[in-house]
Amino acid sequence: MKNFSRVLDLIIGVGLIGISGIAFVYFLINERFEWIPEVALELVRDQEILKRPPAKKCSECHKNIYEDWKESRHSVAWTSETFIEASENRSKEKCLPCHIPQSIQGEKPEPRTDLRDQGIYCVPCHFIDNKMQGPYDLLAPPHPTFRNPIYVRSNFCGSCHQKTFKEWKATQVEDTCQDCHMPRKKSRLTQKKGLNLLHKKRWVGDHRFLHGKITKEDVILETRWETKFFNISLKNQTIPHFVPTADNGDPRLYMYIKFFNGTEEVDNAKEIIAPQQETALPYNKKINYRYRLFDPVSKAVVELKYQPAWSKEKTEVFSKTVTR
Amino acid sequence: MKFFGNLFVVISFIVFPAFQVGAGEMILKEPPKSINKYYPPESQPSKWIQQMHKMSTHFGGVFINLKEEDFDNVDKHADKLVEEYKKTSEMVPEWEDYFDIKAAENFANAAKTHDIAKAGKASGGLGKTCGKCHAEQQVSVWAKFHWPNFHKIKVTDPISEKETAFDDYMGSISSSFKTVIVNFGEGQYDRAAKALKMFKSRFMELKSTCSKCHINQDVKRFYVGPEIDNALNELNKELSSKKPNTRKFWKNIDLIGKKGCKHCHLVHRTNSLIKEMWQQSVKK
Repeated sequence: MKNFSRVLDLIIGVGLIGISGIAFVYFLINERFEWIPEVALELVRDQEILKRPPAKKCSECHKNIYEDWKESRHSVAWTSETFIEASENRSKEKCLPCHIPQSIQGEKPEPRTDLRDQGIYCVPCHFIDNKMQGPYDLLAPPHPTFRNPIYVRSNFCGSCHQKTFKEWKATQVEDTCQDCHMPRKKSRLTQKKGLNLLHKKRWVGDHRFLHGKITKEDVILETRWETKFFNISLKNQTIPHFVPTADNGDPRLYMYIKFFNGTEEVDNAKEIIAPQQETALPYNKKINYRYRLFDPVSKAVVELKYQPAWSKEKTEVFSKTVTR
Repeated sequence: MKFFGNLFVVISFIVFPAFQVGAGEMILKEPPKSINKYYPPESQPSKWIQQMHKMSTHFGGVFINLKEEDFDNVDKHADKLVEEYKKTSEMVPEWEDYFDIKAAENFANAAKTHDIAKAGKASGGLGKTCGKCHAEQQVSVWAKFHWPNFHKIKVTDPISEKETAFDDYMGSISSSFKTVIVNFGEGQYDRAAKALKMFKSRFMELKSTCSKCHINQDVKRFYVGPEIDNALNELNKELSSKKPNTRKFWKNIDLIGKKGCKHCHLVHRTNSLIKEMWQQSVKK
């Protein structure tokens, strides 16, 4: 009985030491990693990660972020058919800096010569000044990560999305690019078994770089009839940049107006609302369109459809019938 | 003496890139396929241009250093020039005969005497080899590799929403423009107004077309900017009025024709026509 009690005490003691040890390591890694001597960290550094690794290498630990990125347009910046066609088989020099950036720092990136198929991947955004950077100071045994506040600011995106950045800035809206296109949720930065439990949950941005869906709540339609004219106004009410927006791509909103006399279509009109035609809808400002009526008209059907830069497909934003 | 030295350096820089060989006529033959591998998309950056710059820099380097009496660097540039010249002579086999290695070596030897007059005299033979090639091939190379190919551009016709070859699209624009003019001339103002709507839509689509090559937004405003937009609105106003003003109508048509169509054609059409001819000769 006495022996059993001793064994139990030993197990409990070892267990407590183990738990304390794990708790201490957890505390050390997440809160006080500066206490760990650099010499010790050097032993566990992964040299490949310290020299511009391919995305697949990053995915060994950051599986979720990698899978999100794979779904994004950034991951196909060099390989998408639309890009290959629009850039005349990637020969247009103006396209290269932002489709295969070396680093997205500065006024405009320089195109890189390696790993071009990966488009805009982990390294151009996170490997700056020869060190891994992100929104947090972190201890990760394979590589240190240094906090840089730029990761939560819009100007980080502005080196490529220059035009959109300027449009957003002019709106004076506080929500940043990341707030809408990289919404954050609490999760672990690494999914590598074992290591994941040693890292506490953080706010992690969505690396699919969400492309917002345009709805009738975003673009507000108003109409007004006159004897010989039909007037329309559109207002981008919610999106704090022009809609659509692009520096060099050609996304479009198509507005179709069909005029009917009874059930017979007597005339039609169309507007192409596109950044490259300088007709995109600015934030919170009404844009007016006026149509002359050549024939008697009893109603009009106004349809708005959206076609992103990388697709030939259009999706409906709204369709509204306006009677006279 | 120093004055003549300075003068010679200046003249060398002006003359060397061209050393134009007088030619009363020019035949624009498509450059040989073997040069393709030194230009995008096969090569990024343009290795041929880099090679030209290397030779030009070493040639300039010889005279700059002769003037500065930095003779070690004169010798280095002279040797590098011969090295790059030989390398270039092997890059496009079809152009091998333009090169005269002996002339390059003579120039290098003359430069190494550190006598600027001797170097100047020897540069003539070398310069002529460059000048002959430039005179016969430079325009073709610029036309082929430095200007994007209009014939590869596809435009989404705003009326049909179909992707259209650039040349066909230009035909559609021209046709819409003529429909406006013809109907106006016949006093069919409603028809002219409808055709104008179509023309405006097609013409403004060109803003997207310009963006396919140009990054600078201001460039497209030369041809499809506010001035043209205003002229189109003025035309629309005239055609919507009970009695359109003929003088105002033609004034705006003239403005669109000159500032929209002609100015763009002046800049872009020559190159486009050269490429078109090459394409047609390939088809034949």
